[in-house]
Amino acid sequence: MADDNNKRRGLLGLWDWFWAPTAVLSIGFVLLAGFLGGILFWGGFHWTLEMTNTEEFCVSCHSMETNLGEYRETIHYNNHSGVRAICSDCHVPKEWQHKIKAKVMAVKDVYHEAVGTIDTAEKYESHRLHMAEAVWRKMKASDSRECRNCHNFQYMDFTIQETRAAAEHQRALDNNMTCIDCHQGIAHSLPAGHLDAYKALVEEMAAAETGESGPALRQSGIGVDLQPLRDVLSERGN
Amino acid sequence: MLTILDLLGTIGGNVLSLPGILGLALGMMTRRLPLGAALGGGVGIFETLVFAGFQLQAIEPLELIVAVVVGVMAGSVGTLIRQKGATV
Repeated sequence: MADDNNKRRGLLGLWDWFWAPTAVLSIGFVLLAGFLGGILFWGGFHWTLEMTNTEEFCVSCHSMETNLGEYRETIHYNNHSGVRAICSDCHVPKEWQHKIKAKVMAVKDVYHEAVGTIDTAEKYESHRLHMAEAVWRKMKASDSRECRNCHNFQYMDFTIQETRAAAEHQRALDNNMTCIDCHQGIAHSLPAGHLDAYKALVEEMAAAETGESGPALRQSGIGVDLQPLRDVLSERGN
Repeated sequence: MLTILDLLGTIGGNVLSLPGILGLALGMMTRRLPLGAALGGGVGIFETLVFAGFQLQAIEPLELIVAVVVGVMAGSVGTLIRQKGATV
């Protein structure tokens, strides 16, 4: 009876109940129930996460209509092989931790949809360069990780590529360049002055390498001689 | 340059990855707080090494710091759960 009088109520009572030892359940029952509960929770969590990777989900926001229209004109949407790369294939990493990071960071997209940052064609165009730079920066820093989900220098047979493509891929391979160094705008229209902007971005990232945030960029290959990349960008600009 | 959004994403990624989950689980295996924290921190170091392909020069200091801090906190919480929820 004394125990009943000392029982706390409300949230504190729930807290006490949560930490009370089980009197009627075996260890096996608790373990099995926890195991099944874990599977259900993790399966549901992962399934929900995958739902946010579908093209339907990505383009369900009004802000994505321009992106979608441009992407539908590219080879990543329609091609002879019937293989399609959807939004998440290029913008969401496959590795778990990187994927979660991308999902957390994508919260900003919901915010900008809500406040209408790019809800008109004019606003979209005024932000196009900024948005492109954000993706280029991420791609450069990760050695175009998402491109490499499907494409890889090591898997390429240069002998059956067009002569120019084979030569450029060999040059990229020799000079530790990465996909985004040449393949900007493969799914969306390029902003005006994109080459100059990309050059400036690469130089900025290379300069930062010697500073505090440097090691983050070493995996991108920026740590090596930048001159070949400068040459490529200059050639494209001419 | 790491933005606030980058930092939040890195923390979220670590909480739902090895440092957060395995760190919590390892912390629950001991009643000694320093040991639980150390086990969690160890997971943070291990995970960063794995993601860097075991190449030290590819490790980003801030990512390592976030992973270790999340691991230490998860390991500590795990130990507190053990202390609170178990009599052995």
